Amino acid sequence: MSSLPQFEVLALPCMEAAFNLAIWLVRSRPDAEDIVQEAYLRAFRAFGGFRGGDIRPWLLAIVRNTAYRWLSNRRRSGTVISLEEAFADGSGQNADDLAADEPTVEERLIGAAERDYVRRALAELPPAFREVLVLREIEDLSYRDIAEVTGVPVGTVMSRLSRGRGELRKVLTRLMDKDEPNAM
Amino acid sequence: MQCERARELLSPYLDGELSAEERRAVAAHLEGCRACSVEVNDFRRIGATLAEAGREPAPKALSARVRANLAREAEAQPTPITVLAAKPVRAGASHLLRGLMRQAAVIAAACVLSALATWWTMGTLGQQQRLEQDVLAAHVRSLLQDSPIQVASSDAHTVKPWFAGRADFSPEVKDLAGEGFPLVGGRLDYVGGRRVGAVVYKRRLHLINVFMWPSANPGEAAPRLVTRKGYNLLTWSRGGIDFWAISDLNAGDLAQLQTLL
Repeated sequence: MSSLPQFEVLALPCMEAAFNLAIWLVRSRPDAEDIVQEAYLRAFRAFGGFRGGDIRPWLLAIVRNTAYRWLSNRRRSGTVISLEEAFADGSGQNADDLAADEPTVEERLIGAAERDYVRRALAELPPAFREVLVLREIEDLSYRDIAEVTGVPVGTVMSRLSRGRGELRKVLTRLMDKDEPNAM
Repeated sequence: MQCERARELLSPYLDGELSAEERRAVAAHLEGCRACSVEVNDFRRIGATLAEAGREPAPKALSARVRANLAREAEAQPTPITVLAAKPVRAGASHLLRGLMRQAAVIAAACVLSALATWWTMGTLGQQQRLEQDVLAAHVRSLLQDSPIQVASSDAHTVKPWFAGRADFSPEVKDLAGEGFPLVGGRLDYVGGRRVGAVVYKRRLHLINVFMWPSANPGEAAPRLVTRKGYNLLTWSRGGIDFWAISDLNAGDLAQLQTLL
């Protein structure tokens, strides 16, 4: 007896979350599709080890591992610059926080460009920050679930989210400054 | 509380992961500190933008491909094959005949069982498919009308009593605005040859119809997801009520609503 129907009922509703995590990690639509397919096969093979409860963190942990394995293969093949490297070039230049009298990010985040800026900024963050932000802000996972997905203690999740939010705000400010140097 | 300490706690403060005491301390600090309250507002705004626009929708065909892969995988898994008794036949014609008769009986019994199982499955499937059709039709009908609801209220205590006297049971109505599923209202609809309660929720721009009626079978049924014409249908039974939630919303969010109801 295979437990396929049971697995499908639990796992298929998570596909949007699985795809979203995969694509935010590897930043390529076709690759994310491959990763989701592979991760679902792996999850099904390992389904006997699933202990019940909410399947989402368990499944997303497998998606994440599959994505990271894929990323490390891509890095070894050396054809693509990793996002960490891309990030290392640009970060740190705007380390200063906003001065209190400058318009806040909130005030400037008005208009059609808002979503685009936030997405571009998130894409620039190192994966360790990007993944906790995706899991928290988009998938609405608790710290405990994020800890299960990423395999780190809850305290680490908390500090990564803290730093991640700070970095995201910083990158966002930099992107907006670059595009509108004379913004008031 | 000093700024430095408050800043460490802003993020878990937003996520509701602080103790009550810490939460009060951070809130008090934010009252008096402009820099920190600017920062927390920015975090909140950026988070809301991400929640709204950060999701990369999965391609429609992906689900079908994953299911095909899984079906192949399940087939490839070795399944134990039951072999009909194949004992070595001993000498003696009557012995042989008795053995054959027994095998024939076993095969005949297996045939009857299989036919019964098929008949039962087909019957249930047909019923299930008709229900899916009805639910889909009711959902689309509600979208075509000027308003999907007869009683408009974001307050569960207004919607629930409205059903009293109109339906022969009390549908589940919950206030889930805090979880991102604001209540729109309720109405009566006609599904599966009976009057049913429909409670309408919203998720961002997506409308969700949750149909409910008293269950024919006692007991619980785990949620089951099907996709029809691009809509996700999630059905489950709990507490003597059959639930059908339908929307063009992604399956993950729909499953989240299921856990909240």
